[in-house]
Amino acid sequence: MFGILDPQIWFAYLLALGFTLACVLYGLLNWNAGGDEMRGG
Amino acid sequence: MRCVAVNTLTLAAITLVYLAAIVVLGWLGYRQTKEHEDYLVAGRRIHPVILALSYGATFISTSAIVGFGGVAAQLGMGLIWLTVLNIGVGILLAFVIFGKKTREIGQRLKAVTFPDLLGKRYESQFMQYAAGLVIVVGMPLYTAAILIGGARFIETTLVIPYDSALLGFAAVVALYVVLGGLIAVMYTDAMQGGIMLIGMTVLLVLTYVHLGGVVEAHNALAGLSSMVPEALAAAGHTGWTSMPVLGSPIWLTLVTTIVLGVGIGVLAQPQLVVRFMTVKDSKAIHRAVLIGGPFILMMTGVAFTVGALTNVYFVQNNGMIALEAAGGNVDAIIPAYINASMPDIFIIVFMLALLAAAMSTLSSLIHTMGTALGHDIWRGIMNAKPSLRASQAGCALMVGVSVGLAYLMPVSIIARATAMFMGLCASAFLPAYAAALYARTPSKNAAIASLVAGASMWFLWTAFVHVKESSVLGLSQAIFGTPALLSSFWQAVDPLIIALPLATLVLLGGMAVERTMPETAEKSQDTVEGEALR
Repeated sequence: MFGILDPQIWFAYLLALGFTLACVLYGLLNWNAGGDEMRGG
Repeated sequence: MRCVAVNTLTLAAITLVYLAAIVVLGWLGYRQTKEHEDYLVAGRRIHPVILALSYGATFISTSAIVGFGGVAAQLGMGLIWLTVLNIGVGILLAFVIFGKKTREIGQRLKAVTFPDLLGKRYESQFMQYAAGLVIVVGMPLYTAAILIGGARFIETTLVIPYDSALLGFAAVVALYVVLGGLIAVMYTDAMQGGIMLIGMTVLLVLTYVHLGGVVEAHNALAGLSSMVPEALAAAGHTGWTSMPVLGSPIWLTLVTTIVLGVGIGVLAQPQLVVRFMTVKDSKAIHRAVLIGGPFILMMTGVAFTVGALTNVYFVQNNGMIALEAAGGNVDAIIPAYINASMPDIFIIVFMLALLAAAMSTLSSLIHTMGTALGHDIWRGIMNAKPSLRASQAGCALMVGVSVGLAYLMPVSIIARATAMFMGLCASAFLPAYAAALYARTPSKNAAIASLVAGASMWFLWTAFVHVKESSVLGLSQAIFGTPALLSSFWQAVDPLIIALPLATLVLLGGMAVERTMPETAEKSQDTVEGEALR
């Protein structure tokens, strides 16, 4: 994949991109969740 | 990095503009700091974008880009597994699982530092002192390493004497940390994070342009596997686009020390944890995740990819792999590549990015050490009220200690300081920190036992088994007449891999024992009823 033959390497790239996408989606989906909490725990 | 090709006046002018911006942001922090909560947790009103960039810029030091980028040039793209953990653990897990709870509990208990959070959650002054002590004793070494790296870098780029570079670097950072506290630190961090993002983006694009495109560059790198030096091949190196041989010394170093040691170690870093307590609600944490993930991808993902690809550039242009081109010095690979391949203007941008990376990490470390000393230890011992002045004095004192260490400590130990401090933090703090956030009735005794067991095992393994550190520390040689104990397999296993599971087992065992005791079971019932009533 993209010139990298070892699956252990390209899978790591896929995972890194996947986690990045997960961060973006998490932020977007929870954009307004949990606002103005006075206390928690 | 030596910028001989760059106009010195241009370089000096841009550096002055950068320093002026730092002064302005530091002044803003100073103006907004009225009381100790402003100084320690930025008044709990930091914007999510500032949180994300500050967290990322603190997380990523110069050594993450230059040092680990150089390691990627030596060992190959296997380092990208560290990026996987940097994002998956260092951002996603850290913010969503740890960060939200840390903010909630920190706000409820009015905790203002990491040791304060542990102390209040476990209702244990000892816990606060112990955590503060680990920070005050362990962190100066890491801080000295950042100081030395930054000073060496300034010395070569601005062509000024090392002593002036070291003292000037420490003085500028100390000024805005001591006066402006965490608000100044996070504002400057955010600007520095922005510069780092620009620098790394340009680096990635220009590298692929130089090497003829993404696939072409990777194909060329894969074709270099026959040029792996014999010593590295014998230790398990199979090429720069493939993982080392499973279980080989290089595989063990890559997986246990670099990927797991640094990747997991980030979770319990006090200077990062405190940032979760600087925002007013979970919404800010959610929004920060959106920026934090891509930011870290563009930092370590780019550094490790470009690091490995420097081999293609040096083979095509110099006829030798990157390590040889840099004279065998791993830390010199990225600077050598930038100087050789990039246009002058980018050398300046990258120089600023590295300076920003060093300053953002250094300022956060000074703030964390200073507040641990001034707030957690000194104030506790004196039984005094929380005081802005005590924290400021603590920060000033810890700058002095770090500068002193930078002159006194051998370079060989300093070079290991980053990984050592991350390992120590995770081993000592992580289980107790996780239980503080999620256990219904956190056990004080189990947490203390876990902290002591984790820190002790980490120290024993570091001093007597993990050869990279034990050979430098010299304790094993002095007592047992050998640089490291146990077999060569164990000597390559990072202390974290042994100490963290032990600390976790001690914590779980202690909690299980305490649950069987009648008075604890009664207290547990009270807590459950109390929480139900809230």
